[in-house]
Amino acid sequence: MKRWCVFALCWLACNAWAETETALNKVEVATDLPTLERGAETVMTVCVGCHSLKYIRFHELAKLGMAKDKVDTWRGSNTMGTAISSQMPADAALASFGKAPPDLSLMAKARVGEADYLYSYLLGYYTTPEGATGNHYFPATKMPDVLAVAGVTDPAQRAQLEQKAREVTSFLAWAADPRAQERQTLGYYVIGYLLILTTMLYFLKRRIWAKLDKA
Amino acid sequence: MVSRVLGWIDQRFPLTPFIKHELTDYPTPRNLSYWWNFGFLAGFVLVLQIATGIFLAMYYKPDVNLAFDSVQHIMRDINYGWLLRYIHSTGASAFFVVIYVHMARTLYYASYHKPRELMWWTGQVLMLLIMATAFMGYLLPWGQMSYWGAQVITNLFGVTPFIGDKVVLWLRGDFAVGDATLTRFFALHYLFPFLICAVVVIHLVALHTVKSSNPSGISLADKDNIPFHPYFTIKDFFGLGLYLIIFCTFVFFVPGTFIEAANNIPANPLVTPPHIAPEWYFLPFYAILRAIPDMLGGVVAMALSVLIFAILPFADRTSIPGGAHYRPVYRAMFYLFIVDVLVLGYVGSQPPTGFVVPLGQVSTFIYFATFFLLPFISKWEERWMRARGLPPELMALFEKRPPRAKWPRKGEAK
Repeated sequence: MKRWCVFALCWLACNAWAETETALNKVEVATDLPTLERGAETVMTVCVGCHSLKYIRFHELAKLGMAKDKVDTWRGSNTMGTAISSQMPADAALASFGKAPPDLSLMAKARVGEADYLYSYLLGYYTTPEGATGNHYFPATKMPDVLAVAGVTDPAQRAQLEQKAREVTSFLAWAADPRAQERQTLGYYVIGYLLILTTMLYFLKRRIWAKLDKA
Repeated sequence: MVSRVLGWIDQRFPLTPFIKHELTDYPTPRNLSYWWNFGFLAGFVLVLQIATGIFLAMYYKPDVNLAFDSVQHIMRDINYGWLLRYIHSTGASAFFVVIYVHMARTLYYASYHKPRELMWWTGQVLMLLIMATAFMGYLLPWGQMSYWGAQVITNLFGVTPFIGDKVVLWLRGDFAVGDATLTRFFALHYLFPFLICAVVVIHLVALHTVKSSNPSGISLADKDNIPFHPYFTIKDFFGLGLYLIIFCTFVFFVPGTFIEAANNIPANPLVTPPHIAPEWYFLPFYAILRAIPDMLGGVVAMALSVLIFAILPFADRTSIPGGAHYRPVYRAMFYLFIVDVLVLGYVGSQPPTGFVVPLGQVSTFIYFATFFLLPFISKWEERWMRARGLPPELMALFEKRPPRAKWPRKGEAK
C-alpha cells in the first residue's frame, strides 16, 4: 500500500514535470568567467539598447572579475555604483513597441522553464511563409530577432548563434541569482556539518537508550 | 553555586518543579515511533519562521512601489539576506509538510479519540492560523502570483450572504488588492505567528494533561513509560538533524523550488497571468473549490473540507483503540484518503480542462464520502472484527475495561 502511494506520487510528479518541460530546448548554464563575460558583452551592447538590469550595478560586474576596461566601456560616464539602465527612454520604447521592454535582472527566473525558456526563446525565431518573423515560444513577442536567427540555415553559423544564446542565458542566469555560487559553497559546509552532527546525535541516542535495557 | 542560584529562584518561581514535571519526570510511552517527532519539528519550524521573519521585516518595505524591490534588496545586497529569505520561503512549505505529516499520523492512529479531542481541535485552530499566515505572507513579495492569488482568494469572500461586498472591501481595505491590502496583510502576518504561539501553549498544556498517544493505541502501564528527558529530547534532536539535512538541501541547492516563476515578475493589476494556481499546500482545497460548478457551493465545500476534520472524534464511532494499527478497514480508508488528497493536489495544479474536471469531482466526492461514511463503517467494522475475534491484547484490554456506549443514554447506568 505504502509503495503504491509513493509510486502514485512519483508518477504525478513526473507528469507535471514533463508537461512544462517538453517543448523547450535544454541549455547547460555556464558559470565560468569567460562565458559570463562574453554573455555580458552581448547583453551590454545589444540587449541594454532597450532593456534595463536595474538590480545589477556596474561594480558587481567588476567584482565578479570582469576586465576593468570593459566595465568602463559599458558604463560610459556612469559611476561604478550606477544600476544598469536601458539606453532607450521609456516613452520611446512605448511608442515603438507598444509596451515597455521588461527589466532583465530576473528574466532567467521569471518564466516557466527558467534558463531553458530564455535560451529557447532567443533561438526560437523563424521566418513565416508570409515573410514575417515569428517566435515559436512567445508568438506575441514584440522583440525583434536581435541575434538574427530566423534566416540562418548554415549549421556552423547556427552553432555559433547557439553558443551566443548560451552565453547570454548564462549571464542573465547569474544576474537573476548572483549569490548562487556563495550559496552553494556555504551549502556544502552546512550539509557536511549537519551530516557529522546528525551521525553523532544518532550514536548519542543509541547510547542513551541503551541505559533502558540495562535497568 | 548553581544549586544556590536555583534555590533562590525556586523560592520565588517553581522552576525546578516545572522542569521535573514537564521534562525529566514527564512520562512518555517508550514505543513511540519516529512519526511522533513531527510535533517537535513543527515547533522548531515555527521558531525558525519567526526568527527569520523578524530579521526580514527589518529590511522589507510594505509599500506597493517598494515591496518587490525591497525583497530583491534583501536577496542581493543585505549580508546573508538571501539566506534569511530562502529559509523563510522554504520554511513556509516545510511547515505544511511537517503539520500535514503530523495530522496524517493522528489520523492513522486515530489519536483524536477520547481523551485527546481538544488536542485535535486546538491542532485544527493551529492549522487554520498557519494557513491564514501563509496566505498573507505570500502577498508580501508583491509578485504577479502574490497579487493575483490574493485577488482571487479575497474575492471568494464575496459569496458571504447579504454582506459579501462589504466583507471583501473590509479584507482588502480597498476596491481591489492594493497598498491598503499589502500593509494590513503585513501587519497581520507579523501578528498571527504570536497567536500561533499562544495556541501552541494551549496545545502543549492539553498534551501534558492527557499525555502522548502511542502506536499500540493502548494506554501503557507505568513501567512502559519513560521520562521525556533525556530519551525523547535526544530522539527529537536526532530527528531534527535528519530534517535539517533535507531542509538545507532545498535552501542551499534548489531554493527556487517553492517560488513560482510568475512571482519573479512584479505585480501588475493590468496583466492576468495565464494560469493562477495557489501554493502546493492549498492545491487540494483549491481543487475542491473548483469541483463545484456554483461559486457559493464551491466556497462552502472548500471551507467544509478544512473544517470537517473536527467531526472525527464523533464520526469515528469505534471502541477499538489504535486506529489503523488494529482496524483493516480504517487503514484502507486512510490510504484511500491520502491518495485522494494527492489526486486533488494534482487536479488543483492543472488548468480545469478535459479529464481533470471529472477527476476533481470524483475525488471531491470521495473526500467527503470518507467523512460521512465513517460513522457507519466504523460501527460495522467493529461488529465484523468482534465476530472474527479480536487480537489477544485487545481482548485483555476489554476484560479489564468492558466497552460501553460512548455516550450513555439518559437513565442508562454509566
